[in-house]
Amino acid sequence: MTDEHPAPSGVDVNTPNVARMWDYQLGGKDNFAADRAAAEAVNEVLRKANVPDGRDAARENRGFLHRAVRYLAGEAGIRQFIDIGAGLPTQGNVHEVAQELAPEARVVYVDYDPVVLVHSRALLGNDPQATIIQADMRRPEEILANPELRNLIDLSEPVAVLLIATLHLIPDEESPAGMVDRLLAALPVGSYLTVTHATREGKAEAAAALTAEFARSRTTAPIVPRSRADIARFLAGVDLVEPGLVYAVDWRPDPPQPVVGAGWLLAGIGRKSKD
Amino acid sequence: MSTVEPSAGPTVLRILLGSQLRRLREQRGISREAAGYAIRASESKISRLELGRVGFKERDVVDLLTLYGVDGGEERMALLGLARDANAPGWWHKYGDVLPSWFQSYVGLEAAASLIRTYEVQFIPGLLQTEEYARAVVLLGHDGRSEEIDRRVALRMERQTVLARPGAPRLWAVVDEAALRRPIGGPEVLRGQLEHLVAAAKLPNVTVQVIPFGFGGHAAAGGAFSILRFADQALPDVVYIEQLTSALYLDKREDVDRYLEAMERLCVEAETPTESVLRLNQLLTDLPPAGH
Repeated sequence: MTDEHPAPSGVDVNTPNVARMWDYQLGGKDNFAADRAAAEAVNEVLRKANVPDGRDAARENRGFLHRAVRYLAGEAGIRQFIDIGAGLPTQGNVHEVAQELAPEARVVYVDYDPVVLVHSRALLGNDPQATIIQADMRRPEEILANPELRNLIDLSEPVAVLLIATLHLIPDEESPAGMVDRLLAALPVGSYLTVTHATREGKAEAAAALTAEFARSRTTAPIVPRSRADIARFLAGVDLVEPGLVYAVDWRPDPPQPVVGAGWLLAGIGRKSKD
Repeated sequence: MSTVEPSAGPTVLRILLGSQLRRLREQRGISREAAGYAIRASESKISRLELGRVGFKERDVVDLLTLYGVDGGEERMALLGLARDANAPGWWHKYGDVLPSWFQSYVGLEAAASLIRTYEVQFIPGLLQTEEYARAVVLLGHDGRSEEIDRRVALRMERQTVLARPGAPRLWAVVDEAALRRPIGGPEVLRGQLEHLVAAAKLPNVTVQVIPFGFGGHAAAGGAFSILRFADQALPDVVYIEQLTSALYLDKREDVDRYLEAMERLCVEAETPTESVLRLNQLLTDLPPAGH
């Protein structure tokens, strides 16, 4: 199999990099001219299509992630987290949010981008309860076999796997659903799967323009907004907790009042109840 | 690019604030003349303010931000905070006699930063030096009176308190192996310094990465530099490059990008923080035993 979207090697500032584009959309400063130009071009395409742009999506995704980790570490009682496709660290990272509620929580970040790795290692320092490993999310067996991960994560105890704004970077040919199923099969009953994913629901044309713009910019990974049914398929092996698969802003909003969101990301958390 | 001359002495905080005010004014399509009118000043006064050449009255900044539509929220708070910081004399002003004004600006920025990334080839980074090592470095450059040397060393030690205060910045240092082997002040001073580095690397807000000799050339053959980042999203990163009699402060995005790229390459090429501590311990083992 030829890999059309290999892991970034070294530091390539000329190819728009999806981790750095997302950092830019979040208002971060760890990005370069090519990343900013590609992200701005995306936002321009979306504005022309009269839909909210990447900044709104990035902010809502971050807000959901914080609520999700608080739910998992709190109500769900989870103490082990694996954040796959973690991206560049920013404020309120998973281990910070989780350890606020559960100081003993352990977190393993996974990413394949060497720049993400060095930033995360510098931030995590010698925190004995959090680490980052270099692995490709398309190869879940390698992730779960990684000795550094196994040092922190006991796979006989429940684990929360986070796939936050990452599955939409994997095209169907690379069978992301199979990847999720293999990952889930290796986790014990009582584990949780958390997903956010760009959707084409209600805006097929804008979503097609988004995909085309990523392709035109030759970003390090493509973007594949999917239908609600296709996104629900990723969560088929778990029982969704309330309120189910919803737009990111509608997932247990805090304060609990309806918010009109950008409508780009569907979000859901599910519990594995049987092997 | 701004070259801050020893005699000019505008603080970089002022330059930063000025450049933000210019950006906001231009975004709103407001002329310098109209902005001047709003604060009862001339067009050329606005020019000087935006270049950071003169100090700001807080009331003027308040009026300009209102004119530019920055009515509330974090950005207004951040810029007003910057205006206050740019006017307040820092603790380092009492070292004015041994501190060139171009370096005062740096100390002010260091104190305001949320992240300090630094690359050093020759010396251990100033924020991580022991008193004995700092004294040996100061002695290399100055054969002044011992009192002056004491004050220079005291200044460097006081600078380091930034790392221990509440809300301290993160320091992420990349150090060439050459700096770790050069016995400045003699082997015993170097031993104390390396032990101090190992201890500092354990702090939650300090990261040390070593570039070993094993790597041939690397991305920043040009020499030492630092990149300062500020918590406020609207403030640009500032690159600091020290020269013999002055310093360069770069905050244009194109310039910052080139140094950020070099820094990212250095960090990717360098040993990981964990490997770096092992390397430091190995260097300590390799030092000649004490008393020889």
